Amino acid sequence: MKNETAKNENSSPLTKSPLSEEEKAQFFAEFNNGLHRIGRVLLIVAVIMLVSVPFAVGAINGVMPEGKAFISGFAKVGIIYIPVAIVEFLVYSPMLGVGGSYLSFLTGNLTNMKIPCAMNARDIAGTQVGTPENEIVSTLSVATSAICTTLVIVAGVILLVPLQPVLQSEVLLPAFNNVVPALFGALGLKYFTRSPQIAFIPVLLMTLLCVFVPAAISQTSLLMIPCGGLALLIGYVLFKKGKL
Amino acid sequence: MNDYLSRVNSGAFYLIVACVLGFITIMCVVFLVKSYRAGIRIGMDKKVLKRTITASATFTLLPSISILLGVVALSGTLGVPLSWLRLSVVGALQYELNVAEIAAQSYGLSGLRLEEMNMSAFVTIALVMTIGILGGVLCCIFFLKKYLGKVQRAPKKESGTKPGFGSHATTAMFIGLCGAYIGSYVGKAVPREGSDVMPLIVAAVSAVAMAVFEFFIQKKGKTVLENFSLAASMLIAMAAAVLIQMA
Repeated sequence: MKNETAKNENSSPLTKSPLSEEEKAQFFAEFNNGLHRIGRVLLIVAVIMLVSVPFAVGAINGVMPEGKAFISGFAKVGIIYIPVAIVEFLVYSPMLGVGGSYLSFLTGNLTNMKIPCAMNARDIAGTQVGTPENEIVSTLSVATSAICTTLVIVAGVILLVPLQPVLQSEVLLPAFNNVVPALFGALGLKYFTRSPQIAFIPVLLMTLLCVFVPAAISQTSLLMIPCGGLALLIGYVLFKKGKL
Repeated sequence: MNDYLSRVNSGAFYLIVACVLGFITIMCVVFLVKSYRAGIRIGMDKKVLKRTITASATFTLLPSISILLGVVALSGTLGVPLSWLRLSVVGALQYELNVAEIAAQSYGLSGLRLEEMNMSAFVTIALVMTIGILGGVLCCIFFLKKYLGKVQRAPKKESGTKPGFGSHATTAMFIGLCGAYIGSYVGKAVPREGSDVMPLIVAAVSAVAMAVFEFFIQKKGKTVLENFSLAASMLIAMAAAVLIQMA
């Protein structure tokens, strides 16, 4: 009778737990350890599969990725995206919990979909960060979101297949050749208006450089490194002065 | 060019992508079932668990359509299967396109241009796109258990603490990224040999479209548009490129 009362006192408003708080903590620790084990194994398998895709397609077509171009490309990409990945990992994984993190970092679209989806689910379920209930809600939410996205895209891809002749027509060539400017026009507007005081000098300098040194135009992938560094420096100075 | 497109849209490639995504979907189902059972075990209300699943599915629908539009945008140069794979795992449209452009330039192309693409460039670009985004996944494999253990043990910070430089740093890095590209489009538009005004026009149209979306999102409270603003702005600008070329 006494034990039963203790169980009920320790239950959150969301749960009518058949377990005492101690049993619940122990069960949850074991559950999380299990998720870590299975998460790591499945992520390693998924990484091997993902990395194999370019080689498999290359093997079918009798070509292989070019080493020098890969190293050069990876160095330029890594200098930007490895710090971003580390920051995202440090910031978002505590919000997502164990299962949510393994799934979100693998299935991507983190900031534009998984995080808002998990936050929305948390609000609906009324759970608090750091509780077992929140971890479960977060994992359910991210897993559902990933499955749902996969189904929508599969349906879309099935519809896209018969549209191939249209998508490959010469008329649409200018559209697909300008997909990168289309991306950076929209993204630029978003980021420049968000922090114009950071953007002004780097954008002006890059524009002047490309206007007066035409050879720089084809080196965008290199230019983004000093440009990003300058923006970071300006951002840091403004942050330290309390102007951000 | 048609030979390249038929190779990057081959049935075998669709099959490979379907296998990889099938595996990842099974992984999601495993986590879903385990978490649902754990929720029941600790006494969570079934109704709450089901509501979480339903709400997450409906919440995801609109952004998923936006991702699908991204697949359309990428498929013109990289084919449908790779676009499908890349936008279904790890990355997002802005990452994938930017990295594809960097990788194309590193390969020696002038950019992600269909008429310059070949299979060797394609597999190199695909590999850079794949490896370049694995940072977060590798962090999870090697550090998640230790990191979450530490965070959960650490005393909670008081709310209202001033946020750090982290979020501003990410914004600054993306500003640098966009700045380099916008500068290059302005430089390319200057009248001289080999000049091309189209990228600047397309960027400008895309920016105007985004500004209209931002107006409705920020000033009119139409937050649902957030899901579409990027992909729709891009598609509007790409359509403008076709119309200008035809004119």
